[in-house]
Amino acid sequence: MRTETSPLETVTYIDAVARALRDEMRRDSKVFILGQDVAEYGGAFKVTQGFIEEFGANRVVNTPISESGTLGMAIGAALLGHRPIVEMQFADFISCGFNQIVNVAAKMYWRTGSSVPLVIRCPTGGGGGGGAFHSQCVEAWFLHTPGLKVVAPAWPGDAYDLLRASIRDPNPVLYFEHKHLYRRVKEPRANFERLAAAEPRLGGARVVREGSHVTVIAYGWMVHHAADAAALLEAEGVSTEVVDLRVLAPLDEATILKSVRKTGKALLVHEACLTAGFGAELAARIADQAFEHLDGPVRRVAYPDTPVPYNRALELTSIPSVERIAEAIRELRRW
Amino acid sequence: MIQADAAVPAVSGAPSSGRVEPLGADALREMHFFLRLAREWDLRFERLVRVGSVSKWYSSVGNEGITVAAATAIEAGDALVTLHRDSGAILRYYLDPAQLFPDWFVPPSRRTLQADSRELLYRLACQMLGRTDGFSGGRERSYHYSHLARDAGILHVGMISHLGAMIPVAAGLALALQREGSDRVAINFIGEGGTSTGDFHEGLNMAAVLKVPFVLVIENNGYAFSTPASEQYASASLAERGAAYGIPGVRVDGCDALAVYAEVAQAVARARRGAGPTLIEAIVGRMRGHSEGDDSLQLLTPEERKRNEASDPLLRFEELLLTRGVATRARMGEVGEACRNLVLEVVDRALASPQPDAAGPPRSVYAD
Repeated sequence: MRTETSPLETVTYIDAVARALRDEMRRDSKVFILGQDVAEYGGAFKVTQGFIEEFGANRVVNTPISESGTLGMAIGAALLGHRPIVEMQFADFISCGFNQIVNVAAKMYWRTGSSVPLVIRCPTGGGGGGGAFHSQCVEAWFLHTPGLKVVAPAWPGDAYDLLRASIRDPNPVLYFEHKHLYRRVKEPRANFERLAAAEPRLGGARVVREGSHVTVIAYGWMVHHAADAAALLEAEGVSTEVVDLRVLAPLDEATILKSVRKTGKALLVHEACLTAGFGAELAARIADQAFEHLDGPVRRVAYPDTPVPYNRALELTSIPSVERIAEAIRELRRW
Repeated sequence: MIQADAAVPAVSGAPSSGRVEPLGADALREMHFFLRLAREWDLRFERLVRVGSVSKWYSSVGNEGITVAAATAIEAGDALVTLHRDSGAILRYYLDPAQLFPDWFVPPSRRTLQADSRELLYRLACQMLGRTDGFSGGRERSYHYSHLARDAGILHVGMISHLGAMIPVAAGLALALQREGSDRVAINFIGEGGTSTGDFHEGLNMAAVLKVPFVLVIENNGYAFSTPASEQYASASLAERGAAYGIPGVRVDGCDALAVYAEVAQAVARARRGAGPTLIEAIVGRMRGHSEGDDSLQLLTPEERKRNEASDPLLRFEELLLTRGVATRARMGEVGEACRNLVLEVVDRALASPQPDAAGPPRSVYAD
């Protein structure tokens, strides 16, 4: 979905991320950034370009190629009330810092009562020919760990609002920003003036398109594919409701269940692999709590259980497409 | 046991400079008090594990010469990150002996915590026993807790079981202190086994690159559970790794509390003046197994065990005080008795303290 305004009047997804960082750093001197190539170079995606000039080397800190070391140091600083934001160059590399996240940061508050206000920015997902180690969607690794918050915005306004809320949150937050959306989706600049004036909130799914026949639940890039599929099917007389999760943990179960109880059909879409992906958890919850409202099976459209191929055609065949989602909706409609 | 005087340089990397003031008679008597208190603390819990009051115990007996001495070099407002053989450091950091025994000890000149020593000791005992009044309220065992009370000058972060993981975290505490522009430092302990982890490398390298005020003390007792140091690393010493990170690496006899103090105090002074981290390798002989109740101490030959008992840091320190005429054997006997009674009293109070309410609402995994 794209807006029809001129570039000057719009804000891209990546600019929204940068703007949230800048606004929060201006607001709170405890906020600082750690990451590879984030200082003079401005980060692999140039999100922090110009930050070192504005905020200085004490607040925009280049690190060695040490994900675990960087996350551990960020946790230490967070324990003393600082507000570190760690930029993973790509979400894929977060595996090198896994233990610090799932065992140190995630469990700290519950174990000790000391909070860890930490944001880990994770440029995520495929669609760019990045191959097996620059394209993964790894959120499910962390959704299985109590104590972490997991965020996956689909729109520039949400990217801005949810990142500001993540930075103000007293818990470790994994913020999955989708690389494919960086420069492809835009929103009117006026929206941001309104958001900036309000208190940001970390939570809540949103119904981005109302419908009555089938509910499609998605997050990140796949919200756009779901919305495009819904638009396509409108001509065929299929009314599709699209729920954008926005925040995966803690999960807004009420919005999901309300929609599924209304339509009686649920399709879960994610770019991450199928098996033990977040769709499995959503399916279990829907089966458990909306069983009597279901009028058909709970279906999933997801990435196959393989690594991400390099070849563009191979990659795009694997990522849930508008057509695959539309076909799954049609099938559910017929059920 | 690895001999501290083995044929490797005692110091590697950048030369450290500026000797620290030797401790005066009052400070030496204080150090003896903490060596003894730490010993009595562990002896008490070694007994309690046998009767099932605690489920596991990793004894600090034999490591006090490192931990008490190292924590003597820091003050309130400095950050302490400990593992499970560091009761000596925690007791030294938490307690003001002048509060506990005003007849024997004068209020120290160093910055002390704004906290009631007896109450902190009671809470520590409750923590060991998994009680409500422990720092983790029964959710975590023994030294797997944190106690952050900056107003009181307490910045203590405990361990997770994954060794090495806390090294970057401790370096991060140092980073926070550096960012605040304070002269406070962070000190962290690791066993020689923990130096084989990736986090040891990442944490120490980053601490050096960012030049944070950080001191890492390796307690090298020659064994990680059953694995001898020879199967843990191939270099002649761990101290020489300092050179690889561009920081001082120092090797010291961990049974000689004064020698440990001198090295740590120098490293702390270096960190305070913004010169960056120091790696200290302290060598001790293993006097206990990996955990109470396992048979890992049997791996040592009878000769090795005898030698380790003979180099007991507490006994060595008592001999030193006698030689220097700083304390009489009678007075040290009285101190030992007082420490034993204090531990008994506090642990008994903790044993009688409330258990967590298992039926109560669980703590959220999220902070508000």
